Order: sequence, then C-alpha cells, then structure tokens
Amino acid sequence: MERQKPGAYRSEFEQALRLFGRASEAMKARGLPAPVLVGGAAVEIYSKGAINTGDFDIATPWQAEPEDELESLGFVRPAGRGRATRGLIHPDLRLGFEIVSGSLLDGMADRERVQLIDLGEDGEAAVISVEDMIADRMGQYASGTAPEMLVQARRLFSLHRDADRHYMEMRIRHETVGDYGVEDLKD
Amino acid sequence: MASKTSRTERKPVPLAEFAADIDRRRSEYEERCGRPFDIPRNSGKRRTASKRALLEAIEEAGGKW
Repeated sequence: MERQKPGAYRSEFEQALRLFGRASEAMKARGLPAPVLVGGAAVEIYSKGAINTGDFDIATPWQAEPEDELESLGFVRPAGRGRATRGLIHPDLRLGFEIVSGSLLDGMADRERVQLIDLGEDGEAAVISVEDMIADRMGQYASGTAPEMLVQARRLFSLHRDADRHYMEMRIRHETVGDYGVEDLKD
Repeated sequence: MASKTSRTERKPVPLAEFAADIDRRRSEYEERCGRPFDIPRNSGKRRTASKRALLEAIEEAGGKW
C-alpha cells in the first residue's frame, strides 16, 4: 500500500476525524463524555493508514445525542428499501460512523488510557488505547472466527513496543479467557 | 473526559505530531524487519447486518473500501 504523506493522514480520513472531534466537543458541551473511536479506524490511526477503513466505529453510552451532533455536521442516515443500518454516512467524504457499543470493550478497557488527539479548533478525538486495541484483536483471534486478527495485533505491537506490557498482558488474558498473553505477540 | 488525576492519562497529542510519530515507528519497523510495514485487512466475516448495510450505503455514495 502506498505510504501517505509524512506527518499526515489521507485527506478524507483526517476530515472525518475532525468532524468526529467537533461532535465530541459538542457532546462535552452537553455535559456528556466524549465518544471513543474503536475498531478499524483506530487501527488506521495507530498504523498511519496501513489499512484504510470506510467506517468509524464509536463507543458511547448515548445514541441520540452523538447522532444529532453528527447529523448537524452533514452526516445522514442512509435511506432506501431494506436499509437497516444504525450508522450514518457523510455523502461528500463517503465515510460512515456507527455507534457499535455503549461501553469501551464491555467496560473492561481503562478509559483513562484513551489516547486524545488534538485537532486544534476542531477539538479533540478520543481513541481507544493501543493496548486495548491489541487486546481486542487478540480476543477476536482467540474466538476462532477471525484468524487475521493475530497478525493485526502483532503488527500493531511491533509498531508500539513501548506499550504498557503489564496492562496489555492483563487485558489480553481477559479478552482471550486466559489463552494468550503478550508473549504471543512476537511476530 | 479522562480524570485529571490519573497517572495513566495520556495527554492530547497534536494530529501532525501523532502522525509523524507513527511515520517514525514504521520507518524503524522497516529498518528492523527489512520489509514494508503492512497489516491484513479484516476479513469482514463477522460484520453485523447493520455494518453490512452501512458499507453498502457508503459504496452507493461512491466510497470503496
């Protein structure tokens, strides 16, 4: 895959991230915690576009409020026969957002480890920690339904070798019901 | 918002600085491992009906992922 410009993410991704930052600031202005980016978009952030994702997965206990904020920023709910998504798309950016969870990895991820990205006048974007992202990938791998997640976890770890190994060991053990740990991340 | 008293709280990092840090990490990986950095995409086999519908809508809007 072609390397993106140094110090920058692909344009559509950065624009969507900035809209997410603005929606997050609006949530905070309502007195609600900022939603957290999880899933493939978080992998894209931590790998600088080694994979490109078309949809942003969000964890937040609120549904209507963040959707209201995204709609005010130009996101729309796809219409049409049989359209059964809970997500919203941005017609110009051709990217989508979907609230996939009411809590951060079933409440097991440490919210205080969330990585905050400073977007200047567009506010801040909260992204699940790389340790929890790796543990999530290992959990999916251990379930037996997503073998590719082992390589995702290993490659993320190979980029982020300074991650908190003690916390990550605990989280991987939890997500894999004790079957795997940091030792299994050696590529 | 994370607690201001947390020892693990991560300070906000400007986007450009964050991206430059990942660039540096990728360069180090490629030097260390002697191959380009890559990550396999999700197989998509575990997508929910809602996710599949969302991706279809994105594709209809002209997005291709």
